Amino acid sequence: MFKVFLPLILVPVIACTAITLTTHRCQRAEITYVSGPEPETLDPALLTGALEGRIVAALFEGLTQYHPKDLSPTPGIAREWRVSEDGLVYTFFLRESCWSNEEPLTAHDFVYSWKRTLLPETAADYAYQLYYIKNARAFNEGKIEDFSQVGVCALDDYTLEVELERPTAFFLDLTSFPTLLPVDRKCIERYGEDWTKPGNMVSNGPFRLVEWRINDKLRMVKNPYYWDADQVRLQSVAALSIESINTGFNLYETGGADYLFGLPLPIVQVLKGRNDFHTDIYLATYFYRFNVTRKPFDDPRVRKAFAMAIDKGEIVNYVTRGGEVPAKTLVPPGMPHYQPPLGVPFDPEEARRLLAEAGYPAGKGFPKVELLFNTSEANKDIAEVVQQMWKKHLGVEVTLVNQEWKVFLSTVKNLDYQIARGNWIGDYVDPNTFLDMFVTEGGNNRTGWSNPRYDHLIEMAASEIVTRKRMDIFQEAEKILVEDELPILPIYYHVSFNIYRPYVKGVYPNILNVHPWKYMWIEREES
Amino acid sequence: MDKRGYLRRFLKNKPAAAGGGFILFIGLIILLTPLIAPYSYEEQCLEDQYQGPSPHHWMGTDSKGRDLITRVMYGGRISLAVGLAGTAVSLLIGVTYGSVAGFLGGKIDNTMMRIVDTLYGLPFMFLVILLMTVVGRSIYVLFIALGAVQWLTMARIVRGQIIMLKEREFVEAARALGASKPRIIIHHLIPNILGPVVVYATLTVPAVMLEEAFLSFLGLGVQPPASSWGSLAADGMTVISPVKTYWWLVVFPGATLATTLFSLNFLGDGLRDALEPHSNY
Repeated sequence: MFKVFLPLILVPVIACTAITLTTHRCQRAEITYVSGPEPETLDPALLTGALEGRIVAALFEGLTQYHPKDLSPTPGIAREWRVSEDGLVYTFFLRESCWSNEEPLTAHDFVYSWKRTLLPETAADYAYQLYYIKNARAFNEGKIEDFSQVGVCALDDYTLEVELERPTAFFLDLTSFPTLLPVDRKCIERYGEDWTKPGNMVSNGPFRLVEWRINDKLRMVKNPYYWDADQVRLQSVAALSIESINTGFNLYETGGADYLFGLPLPIVQVLKGRNDFHTDIYLATYFYRFNVTRKPFDDPRVRKAFAMAIDKGEIVNYVTRGGEVPAKTLVPPGMPHYQPPLGVPFDPEEARRLLAEAGYPAGKGFPKVELLFNTSEANKDIAEVVQQMWKKHLGVEVTLVNQEWKVFLSTVKNLDYQIARGNWIGDYVDPNTFLDMFVTEGGNNRTGWSNPRYDHLIEMAASEIVTRKRMDIFQEAEKILVEDELPILPIYYHVSFNIYRPYVKGVYPNILNVHPWKYMWIEREES
Repeated sequence: MDKRGYLRRFLKNKPAAAGGGFILFIGLIILLTPLIAPYSYEEQCLEDQYQGPSPHHWMGTDSKGRDLITRVMYGGRISLAVGLAGTAVSLLIGVTYGSVAGFLGGKIDNTMMRIVDTLYGLPFMFLVILLMTVVGRSIYVLFIALGAVQWLTMARIVRGQIIMLKEREFVEAARALGASKPRIIIHHLIPNILGPVVVYATLTVPAVMLEEAFLSFLGLGVQPPASSWGSLAADGMTVISPVKTYWWLVVFPGATLATTLFSLNFLGDGLRDALEPHSNY
């Protein structure tokens, strides 16, 4: 009996093992970096997270691209452009380039991609990045059905004309942003939602996607059909999906990864002197969102009390410890010409008074509150400290709930939380990138908060040309956000951490922490 | 054999006696924790973070400046409470189920035991995680969830014992006197299988504690600021790195957990040897 059975069992087992070993054994990528949690999506129109943006930026290229050193918009797919004198009409002259399947990329692809982003059924959270284009907002909100009224039009195969609602200083920064990247119509129509899978995906950037294993890694290789392929020196890049930053760091230390974008908090101090540790100011803010549609946070006094009961100095000194700065406003320092409002101070006494005024003296009768964050050691550490501060200063018990990245994003989107961790990285260097997300029904608002005066100010700022006045309007708007209403609770301004091996070259520090793989290379010293 | 005989045999078994002693010691400390704990388990003192063991903090402090020995003591309360409560739930279900199946026999027995076999095949940790996600994360759910997956072996043991006993004369006698089936089970059978049940229950406690530690390690068990030994070890893991290690945050909770689990297992083995010298399951 065994004589028959043994081969019957053993043969498939050996075969499976052999297949696994041969198919999964591929050469290591030239640069392997730790990307973070499993990416939510790789669809440029739908993504909202920074880690997804980093991958997509390697796979696609927009009309413009960031200059690696000073972040200024440099020619991408657009070889050059002309701006009309009133600043309203941009004419982009596209170069003859092609997709990763050798099909030509034309101005019509941009029209298609932007239309797709704006279509209400696409439900892109970031659609408002296109609202600067004439009638784009009305189309996205379903007020007009005819896309030809929207200010995007292909004059011929290689000329794209864009008409704006009003002069927008940072429009050329936006054209390199993920939401405005071109996507391939044929690919999307053929594969539907599966178009972002390796093998299906057609892209136009320096790299193309060849492998995507859930909760393991993504592998990108150089795209030979990229117009600027001569400049691309890396042959392959791998992004590891690792939720735990400690695991990521251990992997780096043992040689399993070459590049890290973050660090476990307890060791930042220790690493500060090392030559592979690079830190810089960063246009990014760590904050908490309040769900203002539900009790008890529908009351601004309660929100203000919660904000005033947090000693942010303690958090940056003892928890994050990387040189972060306590935040009283959403817009980080370093915005040229911008003078932020004061925000609310740490004042436990006033906080208790406000809470009592709202009907909860010394936290009595306060409903059960949950603080939600996406699973990570750093978020948990901060949440535990904040939990304790609220208990100590307000007498309020808060439970901590952590969720995996994708689940977390959808919970927050659906307003199915009370307090949730938020994080915002500037998309361009202008206060608008922080402030416009909290307009009524904004795709990244996610607090349910709405204030007509605020909406009006953001709109006013958009059409104001004089910088001084514009910045004053922003200040007034932010005052509503962080002093009067507080749908959010800013905690600290990030600093960026880049940890990479000395043989990784071509990394330039900048405040958006944008480091395109396109410009990097590997240079190992001969030994 | 009289009771002193059991005790003598148990005490002669050195690891079991030591294990029992350690459990008594831990139990005592845990009972007295609110009185003897040197600090509060949740009060943070950020200035004192990451201090190594010292006369002020015997086991050092954690990332929030909380005294570790206090947290280990309070964590023990939760870990042991989960272990005991989970075992109680598994006892309740397992003994009832096993004795009913064993006593009734035939088709009913067959069906009931095949259900147990099927449940054995399920990935039980997955069930617990599912239950925790659906019902919510509370310590009481944890008690019930862990107990609810631990009763299977108990049911099998009890059924085996009941089948062995139910043909014996005293059961015959009870039946002849007109005792009802529940009465026979409760008054005549169960008291006679207490030995193996107690032994197995002692071995279930560490199993449940380990599962709780595992869940807490994954972030599904007790929620901060409360702690259990598993969650303390998990917190300790986050400060281990190739460049800097706050060793005390892993070593003390881990060692406490490991010693307690060993002790409980030795105790269980010792009890089995003392009470059931002829069995070896």
